[in-house]
Amino acid sequence: MTKYVYYPGCTLYTKARSLDQCARKAAEKVGFELTEMPSWNCCGAIYNATNDDLAAQVGSVRNLAKASQIGNKLVTLCAACHNVLKRVQNRLDAPGNEVQSERLKTFVDEEFVQPVRVLHYLEVLKQDIGFEAIKSKVVKPLAKLKVASYYGCLMVRPREVLEFDDPENPRVMDDLMRVLGAEPTRFDFKAECCGGYLVVNRRDVAKGASQKILDNAKEWGAEAIVTTCPLCQYNLDKLRATTDGCLPVFYFTQLLGVAVGLGQGELGLDHNSGDPVGFLKSKGLL
Amino acid sequence: MDEAVNRQEKQRPRTGVFVCHCGINIAGTVKIPEVLERVGEMPGVAVTKDYKYCCSDPGQQMIRDSIKSDNLGRVVVACCSPTLHETTFRNACAEAGLNPYQCEIANIREQCAWVTEDKDKATEKATEIIRTTKAKVENDVPLEAITVPINKRALVIGAGIAGIQAALDIANAGFEVVLVEKEPSIGGHMAQLSETFPTLDCSQCILTPRTVETGRHPKIKLMTYSEVDGVSGYVGNFKVKIRQKARYVDFKTCTGCGACLEKCPGRTESRFERGLTKGKAIYRLLPQAVPNKPVIDAEACIYLQKGKCGNCAKVCPTGAIRYDDTDKYVEEEVGAIVLATGYELFDAARLGSYGFGLVPDVIDGLAFERLLSASGPTSGEVKRPSDGKVPKKVVFVQCAGSRDSTNGVPYCSKICCMYTAKQAILYKHRVHDGEATICYIDVRTPGKGFEEFYKRATDDGVTYIRGKPSKIFRRGDKTVVWAADTLAGRKVELEADLVVLATAVVANPDGVALARKLKTQIDAHGFMTEAHPKLRPVETLTAGYFLAGCGQGPKDIPETVAQASAAAAKVLAMFGNTRLTHSPTTAQVDEEICVGCGYCERTCAYEAVKVDPAKKKAVVNAALCEGCGACAVACPSGAMTHKNATKKAIFEMADSF
Amino acid sequence: MATAYSSAELLDQIEALSGQAVSDCYQCGCCTSGCPIGEAMDPPPSKAIRLLQLGRAADLLDSDGIWMCASCMVCGTRCPRGVDYARIAEACRALILRSKLSRVDPDTVAAPELEEIPQQAFIAAFRKSSV
Repeated sequence: MTKYVYYPGCTLYTKARSLDQCARKAAEKVGFELTEMPSWNCCGAIYNATNDDLAAQVGSVRNLAKASQIGNKLVTLCAACHNVLKRVQNRLDAPGNEVQSERLKTFVDEEFVQPVRVLHYLEVLKQDIGFEAIKSKVVKPLAKLKVASYYGCLMVRPREVLEFDDPENPRVMDDLMRVLGAEPTRFDFKAECCGGYLVVNRRDVAKGASQKILDNAKEWGAEAIVTTCPLCQYNLDKLRATTDGCLPVFYFTQLLGVAVGLGQGELGLDHNSGDPVGFLKSKGLL
Repeated sequence: MDEAVNRQEKQRPRTGVFVCHCGINIAGTVKIPEVLERVGEMPGVAVTKDYKYCCSDPGQQMIRDSIKSDNLGRVVVACCSPTLHETTFRNACAEAGLNPYQCEIANIREQCAWVTEDKDKATEKATEIIRTTKAKVENDVPLEAITVPINKRALVIGAGIAGIQAALDIANAGFEVVLVEKEPSIGGHMAQLSETFPTLDCSQCILTPRTVETGRHPKIKLMTYSEVDGVSGYVGNFKVKIRQKARYVDFKTCTGCGACLEKCPGRTESRFERGLTKGKAIYRLLPQAVPNKPVIDAEACIYLQKGKCGNCAKVCPTGAIRYDDTDKYVEEEVGAIVLATGYELFDAARLGSYGFGLVPDVIDGLAFERLLSASGPTSGEVKRPSDGKVPKKVVFVQCAGSRDSTNGVPYCSKICCMYTAKQAILYKHRVHDGEATICYIDVRTPGKGFEEFYKRATDDGVTYIRGKPSKIFRRGDKTVVWAADTLAGRKVELEADLVVLATAVVANPDGVALARKLKTQIDAHGFMTEAHPKLRPVETLTAGYFLAGCGQGPKDIPETVAQASAAAAKVLAMFGNTRLTHSPTTAQVDEEICVGCGYCERTCAYEAVKVDPAKKKAVVNAALCEGCGACAVACPSGAMTHKNATKKAIFEMADSF
Repeated sequence: MATAYSSAELLDQIEALSGQAVSDCYQCGCCTSGCPIGEAMDPPPSKAIRLLQLGRAADLLDSDGIWMCASCMVCGTRCPRGVDYARIAEACRALILRSKLSRVDPDTVAAPELEEIPQQAFIAAFRKSSV
């Protein structure tokens, strides 16, 4: 079974621990293993866009350096960590940036052995495993559940660095959902921002942004939304006044877990608001 | 040694060097007196003169007088690029009795004064340029221009309004025109429009007199549903291969009664209706089509694909259906070609955030024209695609893909501000209680009556909001547009029943493919390149090819018609001569050395040199040869030389430097 | 102190830090129309750039709008001239933060929220708005 060096990030390691477990177990069923990299630290949670702020990148550089000592790939699950690590790696390699890169690499007390390719869990599924192979591992097809795939902004922008998919109409997660037996719906707000970290001091603004996403998913007939970032998950799931009549919000690995046969206790469903167990049971999926 | 030098001196022709100041263009950087002094010391230079503007009448007169009074055998004019005034000075020399091909230009402007600010370096370079040019001109022999016959027939490719206008102008002057159109009937995009700005003339009403005249003109050979496969030859003498696509209908027996159209069950996306409705497998683009005969789309035809149906053949009263039809190839010979391949609209699906193709009530400008058009899919009633209801709020989005280096094309498409205003006005005329809002960045009204037309739009109650929309999405049965009001400084959300995108004008991809086949120049966006942007807007750098219409760049109907008539005028000017002259500075073969290896034939981009299989020698067709010199370079034995650019001349130029 | 500089000096610093040239902006408003926070942001992105174009950088640094940016990058992705407002807003915030002026005081976050909200949100928010 192929082993991938894995970076969970602080949120998946603590508040969203059960989601991390669900992702690892689903990976095993699909045919790869996530091995947590040793002694990682916080990536920084958001990329700093000023030209000269080197201190802000140190945390990520250290992670990349440590990862480079083990291999040339690093798998992430949280969209925010993915965005930061990938952009920092890109900046280190950018032509014309050699002086800054050298300063950063020498400052960090770890040897940078080789450039590291930062991969998201979804990219591993699509490029390395292949969706056809995943289809063969599905034991419980998702009963044509109408699912809106929410990518959020950090997964797809900036386009040239992330190289993830079309930033206006990405399809990777939709294709995965189809392969798992669900029916991906059209969705105008797949990559529009949920409000992100503004939830800390402007909760009202984040709530407004998230509500628009939920409303549009419902427009196109979605029965559930899947996300790929703990913060998007929080904003979409928890900022609502009430969950009655609202769409359940799942992490994509949770639905992946259902499809490949993880048990109810392994899916981390206590994290989702409302009654996720009841919902999944009503669809014959649990 | 001295004797040899003296003999050489006596044989050396007398060269006059004329240095132009070109105002301060040259004189501002090159020190003219120093150049004159150094050049005057060069062997063979009989006289040096300078003048502020050599290309002017007195400047040319100075050269003519000097040829006579100083008994000159050669002339070097040190001035601007030969592309500008080589002809001017060669004509001046010819008038004074000197063979024009013994006059050479030394470019000390574009290649010297204009590339540096260092006066010393510029002066030195100018001197050396003149020195080497003198070495060349001393080797120049007198040459006579070649003349070629002209086949006074024209080919016009594309029968939109541009092609139609050009064809009519040439045909009305008495010359035969072959008019090739790839669609089954003529009229182009103008046939899709409902009314035109700023007069609100019905598009069909002003177009059909032209199309009818074209269809029955005795001098126009109309070939519809045909494409140009290739062109060989040269100006005045082109051979064109045309592919007449299989129509499956015999145009001679078909009466255009339309019985087949009613009975056809085959369906396909209608490009003419911009995807608003499905068309039939046997079809006519519009009721007033010229020629008014249908063709069958083989891929949509049930009989041609599966062998079933055959309804059209059954109902046709004259038995005109021919299921066994095939593509036919025809060769035509013409002397001039007009390219009028037109435009297409930018694919709005590429503007991902606008939801085109995902949100049903988002359409493009031409689709809205079809909704407005009386012969369109809704018979002229404005009904939206999702549910056929009459929209009460329409939002028009200008600059969809234009002026956008990030996601679209960087240029302005010129016609959208005007046609959007027109569409909004027409919508308000049809739906009296409807609301029309136009989201714009600027409103560009550069033509006659255009600014007044824009005022008419606002007078009619059209609202203009300044701000480029970023996102279009669905909410219930509405379509929401996230726009901005930059004049008030805030984001604005508009709820519409229908959204019309004024998408960018791009070059017709079939036209781009054709230009590549014909090797005419196109720019980075696929528009055909004119010979000079200011002064030669309807010619190309390939002799005999002329341009008209949107294939050269976005423009409206009045400009298209003007350009088409201009192209026709150029063709007629060419046809007004008995023969065409062609530059004699071509390649020539020394048959005693040539072994017929064929390297020259492989190198030639103009197919001007071929190895005669019987003689086993290369033969140059001087009329096709453009004098690029590539064959002379490729020739391994030195048999191929270039007139007035021989190896001897070039080595002497290099040695003199 | 950020406010000790003239508007012209501030603009130079903002352009250097962000790598953007405000003269590239032709004020189409697409950034404003696409911003998910657009209605709540004052000034919205296109107006903010206008202030910089007109030599009023000091006014922009005094505004609330620059703190409302969620760094979602939609503005830069859709701008027809390729101007990235998110980076400009970041540069403005950086100038203020580097003058040791915090925008958000971590102590003001209520306890239940501290419990619930994923910590990545805190790290991100304080990196953007606090010293």
